[in-house]
Amino acid sequence: MKQSTSPFVLKCRVNGVSMERELPSSRSLLEFIREDLGLKGTKEGCGEGECGACLVLLDGRAVNSCLMMAVQVHGKELVTIEGIKGRDGGLHPLQKTFMAEGAVQCGFCTPGLIVASEALLRRRPKATLEEIKLGLTGNLCRCTGYEKVLSAVGKARKIKK
Amino acid sequence: MPEIIVKPSNLKELWKMLPGLPARRRYLAGGTDLVTAGVAGVEHSECWIDIGDLPELGSIKEAAGSLFIGSGVKISEIESSKAAARWCPALVAAIPHFASPSLRNMATLGGNAANASPCADGACSLVAEGASVLLALKGKKRRLPLVDFFLGPKLTALKKDELILGFEIRKRRHAGAYLKLGPRAYFGISKAAVAVTAELSGGAVKRVRVALGSVAPVPLYAARTSAFLADKKLSAETIAEASALVRTEASPITDTRSEAAYRLDMCGVLLERALKSLA
Repeated sequence: MKQSTSPFVLKCRVNGVSMERELPSSRSLLEFIREDLGLKGTKEGCGEGECGACLVLLDGRAVNSCLMMAVQVHGKELVTIEGIKGRDGGLHPLQKTFMAEGAVQCGFCTPGLIVASEALLRRRPKATLEEIKLGLTGNLCRCTGYEKVLSAVGKARKIKK
Repeated sequence: MPEIIVKPSNLKELWKMLPGLPARRRYLAGGTDLVTAGVAGVEHSECWIDIGDLPELGSIKEAAGSLFIGSGVKISEIESSKAAARWCPALVAAIPHFASPSLRNMATLGGNAANASPCADGACSLVAEGASVLLALKGKKRRLPLVDFFLGPKLTALKKDELILGFEIRKRRHAGAYLKLGPRAYFGISKAAVAVTAELSGGAVKRVRVALGSVAPVPLYAARTSAFLADKKLSAETIAEASALVRTEASPITDTRSEAAYRLDMCGVLLERALKSLA
């Protein structure tokens, strides 16, 4: 069987919009997001689930899109960094505090860090510093270190969306 | 990567579609091991069968005498289960040490066992919990003690197309601990790990189960150490003796992650710490 002979009709919601797409069943989730949907905010870092640059929210929980196949999100709700917004449609509190704290250098890991932080704060709005550290154990930053990131997430706890 | 991925919507549909699928086929659950292997070019199936959303595999159920954890249950779902915290404390203690938060949202307990890595945190702690594994192939079901399921590194008792339905843990009041030594505090693969469950009564332990990770070809049940600890007070002498005994049960190798002699010593150290945490 060839890829072209085994299309899959994928139905899911992406950033609040329902969609239906026919794809080769062996399409990876990251390819689907970046190439088919053109949402380039989600990055591929290591491609092995270790760096967290590819994190997206699946039914509200952070997952590594580099290690998932597109068919695995069938019937589910996907939110990429493009779908993370403040209540007024502008910047999300985490995006504001990351900027204010200077928690960005090259920026490649930032979408993943924001997604991981958002997943954490949704479940634990008053997360302690230790919980924030544990919540970000799957995200690597190779430029700045983590102090400013931790401080940015800490400050975002106090801001309502 | 496979040429085709199929996604049955329930078990009945799965059994029905099997004969029509390419011969080289495998189950895809969370994908954290399988997709990595596919990307690395060491997984050569023509077809993956996505069982990640099969409703029959996705829940934690409490029955009169046992707890059932479906093979499709995600590791993070176990973390938030009150029934799991009560009836399998060693498994729950292992979860913060299991990969990263996002991988725990993807990985399933069934996949952790099916992958049959000697360092699997879920598998090692389930061995300490004395779990049984329930398997199914079409209408045929069978149950195995989990210790008989692991045959070697990446080798299990699963037959072709056989599926793990879930794990059964007998309800009994007990304490549990899981200690893992990795290259860093979190998100590492263990050099050595120790899981312990113990039924406590006053200052003594009644039944104990000790399991070891990363120091044998399989997640190892330390039978002699477990037998030695039964019906004993956890005194400093007993703990020291158990810690010496457990070193004789492990058979670690030297590889990129650690050295055999160090792993052996760490089994003893981790067991000592685990027992002290229960005493």
